[in-house]
Amino acid sequence: MVVDDHPMWRDAVARDLAEAGYEVVATAADGAQAMRVAGAARPDVVVLDLQLPDMSGVEVTRGLQAAHPAVRVLVLSASGEQQDVLDAVKAGALGYLLKSAARSEFLDAVRRTADGDAVFTPGLAALVLGEFRRLSAAPAEADSGVPRLSDRETEILRMVATGMSYKQIATRLVLSHRTVQNHVQNTLGKLQLHNRVELVRYAIEHGLAGEFEAGE
Amino acid sequence: MTAEVIQCSLVIVTVTAGSAGAQRSSSEPLWRALAAFRFASVGYAAVRLGFIDRAEYSRPDWAWAVIAVMAVWTVVTTIGYTRRGRRSQLLVADLIVTVGLLLSTTGLQHPDATVHGALPVTATWMAGPVLAWAIRYGRRAGAIVGLIVACCDFALLRGAALSTALNGAVLLLLAGWVVGHLARLAAEVQAERQHAIEVEAASRERERLARDIHDSVLQVLALVQRRGAEAGGAAAELGRLAGQQEAALRALMGESWAGSRATGASGDADLRQLVLPAQTDRVTVSVPAQAVVLERTAAAELTAAMRAALDNVRQHCGEQTRAWVLVEDEPDLIRVTIRDDGPGIPDGRLAEAAAAGRFGISHSISGRLRDLGGSATISSIAGEGTEVELRLPRVANIPVAASPGTA
Repeated sequence: MVVDDHPMWRDAVARDLAEAGYEVVATAADGAQAMRVAGAARPDVVVLDLQLPDMSGVEVTRGLQAAHPAVRVLVLSASGEQQDVLDAVKAGALGYLLKSAARSEFLDAVRRTADGDAVFTPGLAALVLGEFRRLSAAPAEADSGVPRLSDRETEILRMVATGMSYKQIATRLVLSHRTVQNHVQNTLGKLQLHNRVELVRYAIEHGLAGEFEAGE
Repeated sequence: MTAEVIQCSLVIVTVTAGSAGAQRSSSEPLWRALAAFRFASVGYAAVRLGFIDRAEYSRPDWAWAVIAVMAVWTVVTTIGYTRRGRRSQLLVADLIVTVGLLLSTTGLQHPDATVHGALPVTATWMAGPVLAWAIRYGRRAGAIVGLIVACCDFALLRGAALSTALNGAVLLLLAGWVVGHLARLAAEVQAERQHAIEVEAASRERERLARDIHDSVLQVLALVQRRGAEAGGAAAELGRLAGQQEAALRALMGESWAGSRATGASGDADLRQLVLPAQTDRVTVSVPAQAVVLERTAAAELTAAMRAALDNVRQHCGEQTRAWVLVEDEPDLIRVTIRDDGPGIPDGRLAEAAAAGRFGISHSISGRLRDLGGSATISSIAGEGTEVELRLPRVANIPVAASPGTA
């Protein structure tokens, strides 16, 4: 499913996907429509623009993950790696790409997202690194299990952030390509899990726990 | 004489106490101060009647009645002044009641009471309307009403103790003037603050709109780049140009996202803001989501070292080589890594250049970092590009200050 409020982009992306052999089951122009249509169309991958008119891409990601946990979200942004990209990834997006990325890069990213592999740009890796550092520096809530990166994971993330491809990292560290991918995946998983735990804790504290049962 | 001093200090203390609270209207604390002053004055008048001037009163019972009226009137005015409407009527009534009570002293005290240093029955309470008019209408009103009350005070004299009465008059006038000035000042400050808040809100709104517009522009440029690449030929060239502009605009927006307010007055700077402009379609700059705060000169020097490294890449590896800049904010260290995918520097060549005393890589990068108290490492593998790592330790959580060294 393609969610984008810019009709030309929607069509361009849909066309590229169709030409590459994917089935575009639905398109949506805003967040509310995306949530509605996702229920009916049941896509495997959602290509989501972060800049939407009615709600932020981050909220849509959160909503989609809550209602359809099997959906994999790839977020696109025109303006680059900023706080909202980090928030979208924390909320459950599997990958992120700039809109100005080349067509081949885009299709590769979609394939990897469909396979369940994380898609990281150097900018996103830097944001994630910074986020883990921030979490470990903040002294509050010592009991909530602040996620920590292992040294290996930090090393690999740093290499991704300096523009090395997984293959180059694998060569440099004498690991297999798959291992490198798993490490990056784990990083994302830790962040997303922590975010979910935090959300549940927040909901319980504020008496919102009932809302989680409501579903879509 | 002591009475005037006490009156003065009462006013000062209550005004200071009143202004300590939070204010909705600018003159609210002043009204509260006035109320405090009046209640205190009633107490003081009672003390004077009961103990100090007791002998001077020919009709003490009536005097106590006057004190009671003063207390009641203080309550009435305190409540009345907090309400918005009909304040001017209350002010006039306040003046009349106060003057009336003041002049009633004639009937209450012995004729020679003033010679013995007795105050009128209202004591310091007579300043009430002076302050009230000053708060409401400003300096001149305060001074004029002060004059009126002072004249009535004079009228009580019946010839004696002129100098003490003069003291009292001057103090009343001053009190009226000063409090009026204060009230005006408070109103002006509040108006200015209101204006600043409005300007801030407007500029925030503008920023938000600008961001939306920029986003749309970025989208169109990216689309053009894509279509151009697909179409090939002249369109591809157009697409490439669009891509360059898209990268430039994104770098610009990244700057404003990093916060135009990040440069605080304290002389600190956000390193991200200085580093992000280096982003082009060949250079990717990756930064954390939080501000990387550093002392201003140190940040500038670090940025200059980074730019020197990027220049080296362009010079030695050509325009088409890509480079990545990573800024990391560790608890005790700031690290900037510059990596490129060029051919790399053969072993020994780096050390060779440094030994030969040639500037360039060695000086402008390592030298800068050394001056800052940090270090720079250059590592390269032939065929796999070069990596420059700039490290700047934070000393005991305080950003490192630059020494006045060479550049």
